[in-house]
Amino acid sequence: MPETPEKTSRQDWVGGRRARYDALGRVRGVVGHVGDQPVGTCAHVAVHRSTQPHAAIRAVHTEEALAIDGVYAVVTGADLHKRFGEALLTGPAFADQPALAYDKVRFVGEPVAAVLAADLATAREAADAVYVEYDELDPVYDLDTALNGESYVHDELRPSAVFGDLRHLDGVRDTNINYEYRLRHGNPNKVSGARTVRGEFWAPPTHHVPIELPCTVAWVEGGRLEMLTTTQTPSYVRQTIADLLDLPLSRVRVTTRPLGGSFGAKMYDRLEPLAAALAWQFQRKVRLAASREEAFLLTTRHGAAITSTLTADAGGQLSAATADVAYDTGAYADVGPRITAKSGMVAPGPYRIGSVDVRSRCVYTNKPSAGPFRGFGVPQVTWSHESLIDELAHELGEDPYAFRREHLLREGDLAPMGTRMHSADFVGCLDAVAESISWDTQPDRGTGRIRRGRGVAVGVKAVLTPTIANAVLQLNQDASATLMISTVDMGQGSDTIMAQIVADVLRVDSRRVHVVRADTDVTPYDTITAGSRSTYHTGNAVRAVAESMRVRLLALAAEQPEQPEQHGQPERSGVDTGELDEERIAEIVHAHFGARGATLTTEANFTSSWSPYDKETGRSEKVTEHWFAGAVGVRLAVDTATGRVHLEHLAVAGDVGRAINPALVEQQLTGAAIMGIGHALFDQLVLDQGQLVNGTLLDYQLPSIRDLPDELTPIIVESPHDDGPFGAKGVGETGILAVAPAIGNAIRDAIGLRFTRLPMTPEAIVTALESR
Amino acid sequence: MMSTVDNPMVYGGGTAIQILIKQGILFADNFVDLAGIPGLTEITADAAGLRAGPMVTARGMETDDRVRRVAPLASTAYRHVANPRVRNTASIGGNLAHGDYRLDPPPALLALDATVEATSVRGTRSLPVRQFFVDFQQTALAPDELVTAVRIPAQPTGSAYRFVKYSSLSANDWPCASVAVLIAGREVHIGLGALAPVPRYASFDATGMTDQAAVDAALEVIAPLLDPIPDVRGSVRYKRRLAQVIVEDAVRGAWKDLDNA
Ligand SMILES: Cc1cc2nc3c(=O)[nH]c(=O)nc-3n(C[C@H](O)[C@H](O)[C@H](O)COP(=O)(O)OP(=O)(O)OC[C@H]3O[C@@H](n4cnc5c(N)ncnc54)[C@H](O)[C@@H]3O)c2cc1C
Repeated sequence: MPETPEKTSRQDWVGGRRARYDALGRVRGVVGHVGDQPVGTCAHVAVHRSTQPHAAIRAVHTEEALAIDGVYAVVTGADLHKRFGEALLTGPAFADQPALAYDKVRFVGEPVAAVLAADLATAREAADAVYVEYDELDPVYDLDTALNGESYVHDELRPSAVFGDLRHLDGVRDTNINYEYRLRHGNPNKVSGARTVRGEFWAPPTHHVPIELPCTVAWVEGGRLEMLTTTQTPSYVRQTIADLLDLPLSRVRVTTRPLGGSFGAKMYDRLEPLAAALAWQFQRKVRLAASREEAFLLTTRHGAAITSTLTADAGGQLSAATADVAYDTGAYADVGPRITAKSGMVAPGPYRIGSVDVRSRCVYTNKPSAGPFRGFGVPQVTWSHESLIDELAHELGEDPYAFRREHLLREGDLAPMGTRMHSADFVGCLDAVAESISWDTQPDRGTGRIRRGRGVAVGVKAVLTPTIANAVLQLNQDASATLMISTVDMGQGSDTIMAQIVADVLRVDSRRVHVVRADTDVTPYDTITAGSRSTYHTGNAVRAVAESMRVRLLALAAEQPEQPEQHGQPERSGVDTGELDEERIAEIVHAHFGARGATLTTEANFTSSWSPYDKETGRSEKVTEHWFAGAVGVRLAVDTATGRVHLEHLAVAGDVGRAINPALVEQQLTGAAIMGIGHALFDQLVLDQGQLVNGTLLDYQLPSIRDLPDELTPIIVESPHDDGPFGAKGVGETGILAVAPAIGNAIRDAIGLRFTRLPMTPEAIVTALESR
Repeated sequence: MMSTVDNPMVYGGGTAIQILIKQGILFADNFVDLAGIPGLTEITADAAGLRAGPMVTARGMETDDRVRRVAPLASTAYRHVANPRVRNTASIGGNLAHGDYRLDPPPALLALDATVEATSVRGTRSLPVRQFFVDFQQTALAPDELVTAVRIPAQPTGSAYRFVKYSSLSANDWPCASVAVLIAGREVHIGLGALAPVPRYASFDATGMTDQAAVDAALEVIAPLLDPIPDVRGSVRYKRRLAQVIVEDAVRGAWKDLDNA
């Protein structure tokens, strides 16, 4: 390690454990979120929601609501449809979701009419006074009815016009399957297996529950639609609204504030299309704020049913894997079709497997729509493949850790879907967690009421590809910098690490680098802040923009007359500073412009590419820009009287290529693991006949501080990526992938029972023990 | 005042009321805030036991030295309510008057044979807690009556107790089942929470019993009281099972303390 230069500590640069720049402000509540912003005079909006899961709308009666004092207007879906036509239907993959339902309703809680009023209480009161007449249709409550019944949530499929690969689905009728991905390699049915394990797995829908609630304010100014909103996808929202209102992009402005968590809940089309339509229709400022109960209806994680097998041949090699995956996407496709393919392709797991056959389908039902959620559908298939391989190891009398280790994909291996592995150190992650939980020491399994066990699991996920990132860097003459990117900081710390990258390249203090929050008038296009893609993609753009600034500065310096040796610091020689430091930068810029406070600007783009799936086999030479590899190890105790699981130790490892900021990486791994604990043990959305039963924080179950393991160990594994910024990749989802199966495998070890349905509640455990 | 305003509602700590307001299922025209009335936050102790004002907080009952000494079972039960933030706000009067079937303190107050002092323009009457919980979300209080105190008899010397709260999902959730056991003299008193539409009470004479016999007797006396409401926290079957587990744990634990005393 070179010596730390005096003015800028290593803490600030790549590899440094700098605290989030806004950590204190977030904890103390002084960071202003969208909902905290004063909006002045505006119309407060409340929506009237469907009480029917599936019904044609016969009539919407708004007279009573309109008569209430303080009500400005009541708008129905039909009103908006008349005004905006088919553009009212939006969605990231399919244009199937109306801002307000107009022909029929597709889930209990779907917005049917909107009230604009002087205050929120009046708006809500009026929304309650709206009365809708329905003609009930056969409801599609579950996957089985969706796949085998004769009631269809949508009359015909409406893939979004922008995606060529979905075009063949346009106008298809009489189906609830909006997308099917198929992966075929070899012939799994021809394999004569020495041993096959089979399972029917279920992972229920869940909700993200970010602490900050969604909120959108929209207004019209100078003939432009402006919006302040809680979104992870400002560039996407801008395009959607431009399309909806038929405006050039330059007449739409989307801005954000720091988000108070999201996990996928604030992506794509949430409150924004309705806010934009209302603001435009009435040419006035509107404010939509979701209550906690409403937030539960905005989007969910896909429930998924997976029927799968794994076969080992007589020699103990994994010869075949099959999986039939169905994602319940609810009433609207949202990003479900993408999740279906990206997750389906890793359904066999990160193993060397001779033959695979996967069918992955995205299915409509009459439930709240499912969309992106930390892991993009992969935790659901990981639940399947990591339970199967564990069971296979048990059946073969092998140690589940050693068995996995033997078959895991290594650097350079071709995964079943045809893409090569690079910077995905599954073995390193697995070894790290096994060591951390002392795998070699057998747990004291016990014979009485308390039984103990240990389990491991591995996860693999592809980063969203292809995507686009841009960065603009404005260097101020005083060697501070302003970085313009559209990555949204929602607590993950992206603003902090992007500043660290700039600082590292320019050799300045990262506290002097300000990251401008997303504002589509100012910050350049960025696909989305999601799918753990920002560190790699935007990080690459940021690194490039800083590099190009460095080159620019050095070129300017070369043009300038020789400086006297005033800053010749011999101790700098060990560090590759490119001869830059804060003082030198200030001099170069000053000499160039002859002015204090002048700015130099550079810009850079980073775009990743992929090769689309082969139509026949579903395989691809390069399905993703890079891989996430993670592993989890667990030691736990089961109280066989109550069924309660107590986690004694959980270790979670992720290969991040290179940790730009190890402290933030550990926090991501830890946070993801805690979320995964909830999904494993009790977190789920309960629906009864399409009606959400536990959609309040009184009843919805999240892990509390008392549900944490006695010991929780995050472990950073670094196998640098050739093309990552400083070798780095993202980490937001890595830690959650393998949590549930690791816990399931440990429960199997403790009490000898295999659970295939999540969550593994105490009641499920007791019931299984009783019926053994 | 309660008799002079329209459709009044007493406001204690507001932790229950605020939720009902948010859910839009509370319709009161006027709130009468007890926080402004002096003297309602007092705890006094004498040889007979404790008298606590209705605006004493759950946290107050948890931490007060006199409560800990005179009725440790009560103090323990209040400690199990929610989290420190709620405990610092929730009043013991509100906790009783709320009449919810799954609150933690009522089982302890049942086992301890506490009484509620209820006051209205007609005067003050004393209601045994064992007769206080009338039906689902319904107490013996008249609409215009205030809880003005809770009296808790001192736990006899040589008695033993246990409070067991079990949450079936997140560890910090509302109880799925809770039980308070007080063994005083030969009598075993059992209060049950969350296991029927109202908190329930049972007792039996344990003269000459071994710990196992006491457990068996306890399971027998509670059996007819169990009438759990199925919900996301568990089915009827599971809650019945849990009742047996926690009652056994509580009786066994208390019995052990008796033996060790
Ligand atoms: C997040 C959360 C978690 C919780 N978890 C638990 C838990 O684990 N265990 C548990 O036991 N409880 C739990 N609770 C419930 C809590 O104990 C009750 O809400 C609280 O005790 C009610 O007291 P309060 O003073 O806030 O009542 P308020 O909300 O003020 O009033 C409740 C009711 O009592 C009436 N009332 C209040 N004071 C009087 C009085 N003196 N005389 C007559 N009527 C009166 C009110 O009119 C109202 O009908 C939880 C509550 C919350 C918010």
